[in-house]
Amino acid sequence: MTGPVIGRDYDTAVWSWSQHLRGGGSTPWAQWRSGDHDDRPPAGWIPPGAAQLEVVRRAALRRRRPAETAALADVVLSRSGPGRGRAWQPLDWPGAPPRSFGAPAVDPADVPVSELLRVAAGALTELVLRPAGAEPSAPATGRRGLLTRTPPFELAGSPVTTSAVRRELAARGHVEGGRKPTVVLLVEPLDQALAQVWSARVQRGAPVRWPGFVDRWAGRRDLPPSADVAAIAALWAEGVGADRVHVVPGPASVDDAVRSTVAAIGLRPGRPTTAGPARWRDLSPAAVDALRRVNSVLNVRVAEQRRDIARHVARDALAATVTGEGDLHRWTVPEAHRDWVTDRARRLADDLSQGGYAVHGRLDRVVPSAAGLPTQPRSTDVLDVLLGACLHRLSSTSAARPPEGAPRP
Amino acid sequence: MSEPTNRRRVLVHVGAPKTGTSFVQDVLWLNRDALAARGVLYPADRFDEHFLAALDLMDLQWGGLETQAVGAWDRLAQRVRDWPGTAIVSHEILATATKEQVRRALASFGEGADVHVVLSARDLVRQVPAEWQENVKHRRTIGYRRFLDKITDPARDGELASWFWGVQEVPDILDRWGSTLPPEQVHLVTVPRPGAPRDLLWHRFAAVLGLDHDTFAAETSRANPSLGVPETALVRRINKRVNHGVLVNEDYRRLVRELLAHRTLSQRTGSPRLSLPDDVRAWAVELSESWIRELSGRGYDVVGSLDDLRPDPADPAPYADPDAPDEDAVADAAMQSIVTLLEESARLHHDEALMRRERDAAYAELERSRGLWFRVKRRLVRAADDNRVAGFALAVYRRARGR
Repeated sequence: MTGPVIGRDYDTAVWSWSQHLRGGGSTPWAQWRSGDHDDRPPAGWIPPGAAQLEVVRRAALRRRRPAETAALADVVLSRSGPGRGRAWQPLDWPGAPPRSFGAPAVDPADVPVSELLRVAAGALTELVLRPAGAEPSAPATGRRGLLTRTPPFELAGSPVTTSAVRRELAARGHVEGGRKPTVVLLVEPLDQALAQVWSARVQRGAPVRWPGFVDRWAGRRDLPPSADVAAIAALWAEGVGADRVHVVPGPASVDDAVRSTVAAIGLRPGRPTTAGPARWRDLSPAAVDALRRVNSVLNVRVAEQRRDIARHVARDALAATVTGEGDLHRWTVPEAHRDWVTDRARRLADDLSQGGYAVHGRLDRVVPSAAGLPTQPRSTDVLDVLLGACLHRLSSTSAARPPEGAPRP
Repeated sequence: MSEPTNRRRVLVHVGAPKTGTSFVQDVLWLNRDALAARGVLYPADRFDEHFLAALDLMDLQWGGLETQAVGAWDRLAQRVRDWPGTAIVSHEILATATKEQVRRALASFGEGADVHVVLSARDLVRQVPAEWQENVKHRRTIGYRRFLDKITDPARDGELASWFWGVQEVPDILDRWGSTLPPEQVHLVTVPRPGAPRDLLWHRFAAVLGLDHDTFAAETSRANPSLGVPETALVRRINKRVNHGVLVNEDYRRLVRELLAHRTLSQRTGSPRLSLPDDVRAWAVELSESWIRELSGRGYDVVGSLDDLRPDPADPAPYADPDAPDEDAVADAAMQSIVTLLEESARLHHDEALMRRERDAAYAELERSRGLWFRVKRRLVRAADDNRVAGFALAVYRRARGR
């Protein structure tokens, strides 16, 4: 049987540092390792890797309640990061002879963010899989009454915007449906529309990355069905006539989209009701990216029938960390696909202008104006929302309790 | 091998890839009933069951296959625990498990199990090109030189280098899997050097698994065949064309990996084989020496010889660069691929025509068997599309029926 990988002093220092972090301390390893430590780790203890410990330290920097930090530490330190990554990376230790094998030793502060993300996504997955009281219910779709005075209408277009408008109208007592409806097509600039389709797919369980998603559709020279608004408009026009199809290009906000929709349909104030949450949340790119990382772990951890609930729990925890509005939630396609998206958007605008539809606004808003927008989520932002979601989950539920029989790391 | 005991025995074969693992797993799979009759369990109801269990143990994503892996490790471990004799678990991606995952795996076999870890290993000069080729067969488009630069970089940054070292670094794999076991329960099976008898590797595996090599040397066609330089270059070029939404993973596996790479291109003979350029060969030779020194002091049960891990210092064949392949040879491989795909397309077309005839016959039969009432209802539903009264009546009917 082999002994400690680096030495007993190393094990002692790492053990004491892990306990320091677990207690809410955030002293960097480079400072900690030079001190005197004499707490021996318990028998059978496996020193965690540098990435796991650094994730706990980053969480401790957020200065949350000690119980939450300790609970998160227990989750992170008891399980390796999921998926592909470095098998185990020791912490740098002065005087340690160079190892002829294994990942190189590292100061945890220098661990690549990609490794921290892997560990943090695994931790959030663990937390959403723990039973924690009332879980979110599916969004209420509402039911259109037989004797309703709301004129028949249907909403279509960019999924997140459409979902928000649908919820707002439902709260005002207006539910979609009816024969020969007036159709309102909410058309975001094409890059935003694609971002919303990606967000909706991730919220539905896809683990696909944003660049990969755009790459795939650009490779096919095609648009996802819910972003191909010209095809949607044409399909509705076939059923109800082009004069009943209204196009709302580039609404400035959800309120603006609601106002345009109300005007287009001719809705009168209805009886306010309590509407459920929107089907697709308006998540920041970092939150969507965090969710797709969680999705990839859920795919191998949870059977299909439980996956939806777990994903909704994760989404709610991630959504709770996001406070920004407007441009904070906007991002655009990678540079390599900008020309393709611009050309495609111009074609959409042309098709819509020639369809004989009522257009409420300027169709050139469909063409992206991407200046200054990020082209993909920043890794540090993703880590931030993942840690925030973990701590939110621990603070808002009983998930701080480990499952019965779980060992403490 | 240690002396037999009365305890339950579990043999965990954890890799490495490209060391004959597919062959071993096929022999175990095909002979699982005969093995069970002799008290040896290979717990699998489908041939990739241990692969799925490994995905589950390590929370690994694998092109969508991971959704079939939920709970697979626990099910496998349960069968192992319930078996009173020897049980064998084998998959090469287990090599990349972390210490925490190894601890979970070993604990899952239950208290009192006599656990043995088996790792098969081959010299690095053959393993490095084989790993790049595996990457290409899994849709990667990275060039050979870039691949070599990544894996020889001591920082080991990125997914590719992490994976390579996770499954190929013999001392580290055995450290992760074997550090809590007595060294005599850690078995290192070395792949014989080129030119050794063909069945020598199987004899070594059979010895460590406790099987009679003649009884179980079954006919098996399953292996992970390798490609030559122009063939690998061709697959890499195909990847570049089909990776952006053209082929989904399932179609890629069926058409590119299985049909083209395994069943067509690997059958071509005479192409230059993948090897290492001189600078990387020198690096691999030096690294191998350090591994041999490290392993020789650990007291493991070596089945074969550590000398097998020492690469030949030089390859007599000239180096063929897959980043700049012989274009005539690539074109020839491409022609053969086109012919194969045409044959496959024709076969599928015939199958489709046959199924269409069968479907039409089934519809006609179904229509004849339906009664008058069904046909009346169908006509009413169709009428509801254009008639407001019929539409309202249908809506009321459906609501009343809760639809």
